[in-house]
Amino acid sequence: MAFMKRFWNLFRGRRLSDDIEREVAFHIRERADALIAQGMPEAEARNAARRQFGNLTAQRERTRDADVLTWLDSVLGDLRYALRSLRHSPAFTAVAVGSLALAIGANTAIYTLLDAVVVRALPVPAPGELVQVTTTDSDEGYFTNPQWEQIRDRQTTLSATAAFAETGWNTADGGEVRRVRGEWASGEFFALFGMRPAVGRLFTREYDARGCAPIAVLGHGYWQSAYGGRGDVVGQSIRLEGKMFEIVGVTQPGFDGPEVGYEPQVYAPMCAEAVIREGQSALDARSTWWLRIAGRRRPGVSLVQVRSELAALAPGVYEATIPPRWAEDQKAEYRHRTLSARALGHGVSEVRDRYHGALLMMMGAVALVLLIACANVANLLLARATARQHEVAVRMAIGAGRRRLVRQLLSESLLLAMGGGLGGLLLAHWGTEALIALISNDAQPVVLDLGLNLRVLGFTALVAGLTVLVFGLVPAWRGTRISPQAAMKARARGVTEGHGRFTIGKSLVVVQVALSLTLVVAAGLLVGSLRNLVTKDPGFRSSGVLLVRVDLRRGGLPPGAYGPAHERILERLRHLPGVRAAASSDMVPVGRSIWNDEVYLDGFTPETSTDRVAWFNEVSEGYFAAMETRLIAGRDFDRTDTPSGPHTAIVNDAAARHFFGGASPLGRQFRVKQGDTFTEPYTVIGVVENAKYTSLRETDAESKTFYLPYSQDRSPGSSRNYEIRAEATPSALVSGVSGAIGEENRAATLSFVTFEDQLARSLQRERVLATLSSLFGGVALALSMLGLYGVMSYTVARRRNEIGVRIALGANRGRVVGMVLADVGRMVVIGVGFGIAGALASGRLVRTYLFGLSPADPAVTGIAAALLAAVALGAGLLPAWRAARVDPVAALREE
Amino acid sequence: MAPSRHDVLQGTLDLLILRTLAAAGPLHGYAITAHITRVSIELLRVEEGSLYPALHRMEQHGWLRSNWGMTEKNREARFYQITVSGRRRLEQERESWSRLTEGVSRVLRYA
Repeated sequence: MAFMKRFWNLFRGRRLSDDIEREVAFHIRERADALIAQGMPEAEARNAARRQFGNLTAQRERTRDADVLTWLDSVLGDLRYALRSLRHSPAFTAVAVGSLALAIGANTAIYTLLDAVVVRALPVPAPGELVQVTTTDSDEGYFTNPQWEQIRDRQTTLSATAAFAETGWNTADGGEVRRVRGEWASGEFFALFGMRPAVGRLFTREYDARGCAPIAVLGHGYWQSAYGGRGDVVGQSIRLEGKMFEIVGVTQPGFDGPEVGYEPQVYAPMCAEAVIREGQSALDARSTWWLRIAGRRRPGVSLVQVRSELAALAPGVYEATIPPRWAEDQKAEYRHRTLSARALGHGVSEVRDRYHGALLMMMGAVALVLLIACANVANLLLARATARQHEVAVRMAIGAGRRRLVRQLLSESLLLAMGGGLGGLLLAHWGTEALIALISNDAQPVVLDLGLNLRVLGFTALVAGLTVLVFGLVPAWRGTRISPQAAMKARARGVTEGHGRFTIGKSLVVVQVALSLTLVVAAGLLVGSLRNLVTKDPGFRSSGVLLVRVDLRRGGLPPGAYGPAHERILERLRHLPGVRAAASSDMVPVGRSIWNDEVYLDGFTPETSTDRVAWFNEVSEGYFAAMETRLIAGRDFDRTDTPSGPHTAIVNDAAARHFFGGASPLGRQFRVKQGDTFTEPYTVIGVVENAKYTSLRETDAESKTFYLPYSQDRSPGSSRNYEIRAEATPSALVSGVSGAIGEENRAATLSFVTFEDQLARSLQRERVLATLSSLFGGVALALSMLGLYGVMSYTVARRRNEIGVRIALGANRGRVVGMVLADVGRMVVIGVGFGIAGALASGRLVRTYLFGLSPADPAVTGIAAALLAAVALGAGLLPAWRAARVDPVAALREE
Repeated sequence: MAPSRHDVLQGTLDLLILRTLAAAGPLHGYAITAHITRVSIELLRVEEGSLYPALHRMEQHGWLRSNWGMTEKNREARFYQITVSGRRRLEQERESWSRLTEGVSRVLRYA
C-alpha cells in the first residue's frame, strides 16, 4: 500500500537517500559514457553529464519529496489546519475536550481502583501457584493456631505454607494510643511470598518456635516514614503493646503481603504472640479463629489435588483440635467440618470484599457517562460538520480530494481525542487519589499502589480510540458525502430546515436524556438510602458523645482490682466540667466487637436453630440515660444490683416481644447457655427501646439485646468503653478525659473516637456510593443539557429564515417560543420514557445498597424525571428566546 | 543551432514512461530516457530532473515495480517494470491523450 510505503520511508530515510544517490550516480555514469562514445574527452563528458542532470541536491530532494516530505508535510498541514479551526471555536473545543476528559478521567480512575483491588495479581513470583486454605464452616478462611499447626505438619501438596493475621499494636508507652498496622506471620511467610530484606534479615521457619524471643521486621513504608530510612534500625527495639521487640530487618518495597489494600507497618513472628498476650495467648486457644493460611503448590500439583488432600486430612485435623469446653452437639458438628482451598493469586482483601460490587456498579455508571460524553461530542461535531457544509463544498469545488477532506476532519477529531485523553489522564490521577481518600478511614486506612500501569493506560487508549472512531467517522463521512453543487445551493436557499437532516442529533439527545435519567435515578436511590440510614432513629442519640476505650491491663493491677478502678474512673468522668452524663459498657453500638449467646427460658420454644441467639452487652448504671435510649418499663440498673444479690437484666423491646411474647417481661427469668452449662437465672427488671447493635441497617427484629449490669460482674475484665455526653463539642473533652483517667492510672491506654465518627465510618461505603453516583449523575445531566442546548441553538440558527417568515406572516413570539420548546419536550419525553425503563432495569443492580427504598421507588423516579425535565426546559429556553427575537427583516435580507 | 527539441509536456511523461516500459520490458532510468529520445527520433527529450520523481511517484501508485539489478556493463542499476495496474493506467492515459490530440487538431483544422 502506498500509504504504508511512505510511512515506512519515514523510518528508513537514510537508506532511501542512499538508493536515490546510487540511482543518480548510475545515470550520470551512463550519460558520460554515451558522450565519450560520441568523442567527448572524458573529464568534459563527466561534467556535461552532471550539468545536464541539474542540481544534484535539489534533484535528490525532489525525488525524496514524492516519498516522505510531501506526505509528512500534508499531515502536519492537516494538524495545523485542525488546530487553527479548533482555536477559532473555543467554546466548541472546550466542551468537546472537557466532555471527553471527564468521561475518560472518570473511567480511568474507577478502573485504576478496580484494577488494583480486583484484577491485578499479587506482585510475587508465579502468583498462580498460591492457594489459600479454606473451611466450610461460617468462619470460612479463618483458623485457630492448633488447626494451623496440624495442617502445616500434615499436608504434602504445598511446598511452603504460612499463616498470618492482621492486627494492630500500640507503640506508645502509656497514655493515648499510637497504633501501627501489624501482621502476625508464621516463619515461612516471607519465603512463601518471595519477600527479601532491604536491611538486616527477615525471620524464617526455623525461628518460628514456641517461646521465641520477641523480634520484629519493619515494613518498608513505615521504616521510611517513622525511621527516615536509617540503616541503623537493626538492633534497636520497638515497643509493641508495652513489650520490647528487637528490630531485625526491613522488607523490600513493592510487596506488602497478601492482603490487598492493607500495608502492614510491622511484622512479628506468631510465636511472639505469647509475649504480648501472656496468659491469654491464642497460640493454644482452640476456639480463637484468627489466622489465615496460604501456601504454594508443589510443581505439577493441581489445585484439585490440593483440595482433595485437604479434604482427606480434615477429619484428623479437626479431631486433634476439638475445643474442650464445647457442648457435645457442637463438638459433633465440629468434627464434620472439612477443608478446601482456593487460588490466592489475587490475594485476600477486605477492601475488595467491601467495595468489589460497588466498584463494578460505579464502573457501569462511568461507562454510561462515557456514552453520554461521546454522544455529546458526536452531536457537536455533527452540527459543526453541517455548519461547515459550505466550506467543504467550496474546498471540493476547487479540487480538494475527498480522502484529503476526510483526513482533515479526522485530524480534528484526533486532536480533540488527544486533548480529552490527556485531560482525562490528569483527572484520573487526581481522581484515584480522591477515591482512595474516600474509601479510606483512620481505623482502616487503605494503602494501594496505584502507579499508572500498562493495563490502565491501554484501557484509556482504547476508550479514547473508540471515542475517536465513534464521533470522528460519522461527521467525516457525512461532511463529504454531499456534492458541491447541492451544498452550495442549499446554502443559497435555506428557507426551511427539513426534519430529515438533523434527526441523528436529536436522537443522540434522546439517548443522552435516557442515560442520564438512569444515572440520576440511581443517584437518587443511593442518596435517599443514605438519608434514611442517617435520619432513622437508631435508638440512641449519637451527637455530642465521645467514646473512649480504656485498658488497664498494663496498669500493674491485680485482676480483682479492675472493676473498682473502672468504677472510680467513671465517677471522675461524671464530675468533669463540660460532661453532662457518662457511662461505661462492654460493647459499643455499631462498633467492631459483638457478643451473642443463647437464651433459655420457660415457655419459649425456638422455631429455628438461631432463634435462641440474642445480642448481649454489659453496662454501667446510667448507660441508657447517657445514650438517651428510652426506658419503656421497669427501672435502670442501680446500687441495689450487687454481686451477691439476684442477677438482674434489662431487655430491649425486640427481645421482649421475641422471647416473652406480648406479655410484660418484668420479673420473668432466663438463663444463658455457656458451653454445656447454664448460668444462674437472670431476672428482667426493665425494658428499653430498640437500639441498633451491629449496624444501622439492622432491622428491629435483628436487634434483640439483653443488657447485664457491670455491678454484678464477679470477674471484670481490664478494658471498658466509656460513653461521655458533652455539654458542647465532644472532641473538646479529650484532654480533660485523658487527664482524669491519668490521675487514676498512669499506665492506662486510651483510644478516642466521637460516636458520630464511628457511625459515619460504618456508613462509609454508602456515603462513597452516594457521593460518586451524585457526582456522575450530575456530570451526566450537565453533559446532556449541553448537548440539548447545542442541538436547539443549532436548529434555531438553521431555521432563522423560516422563523423570520413565520413572524413576518404574523406568528406571535409566544408561538415561536412554544414551537421550540415543543421540540425540546418531544425529545425529553421520549428520553425520559427510555430512561425510566433503563432505571428499572438497573435498579436490580443497586438493590443491595438500598435501605428503606425499593429500586422502583416512584417518588425518586418522579423527582428525577421532573428535575431532568426542568433542567431541559432551562437549557431549551435560551435558544427559544433567541428564536422569538429573530428580526424578520434582517433574517430575510440575509438571503 | 540544432532544431529545438521539445521538453516533454508535464502530464504526458507518465504516458511515455508507461508505454516505454510496456513495450521494452524492465529498464533502468537512463535506458528509459535513451529509449524515448531514440524512438521519438530525438524530437522529445526527457528532463532528468522530472524523470526520477515521476518514477518514484508512479511506483507509489503501484503502476511500476522496481528492483536493483546488473546492467550488461556490470553496473548496479535500478530496473523499473510495469505492473498490471500500470497497464490499465496506460490504457486510460492513451485514451485521454488521443482524445486531446484529436480535439486539438480539429480546432486547428476548423476553427
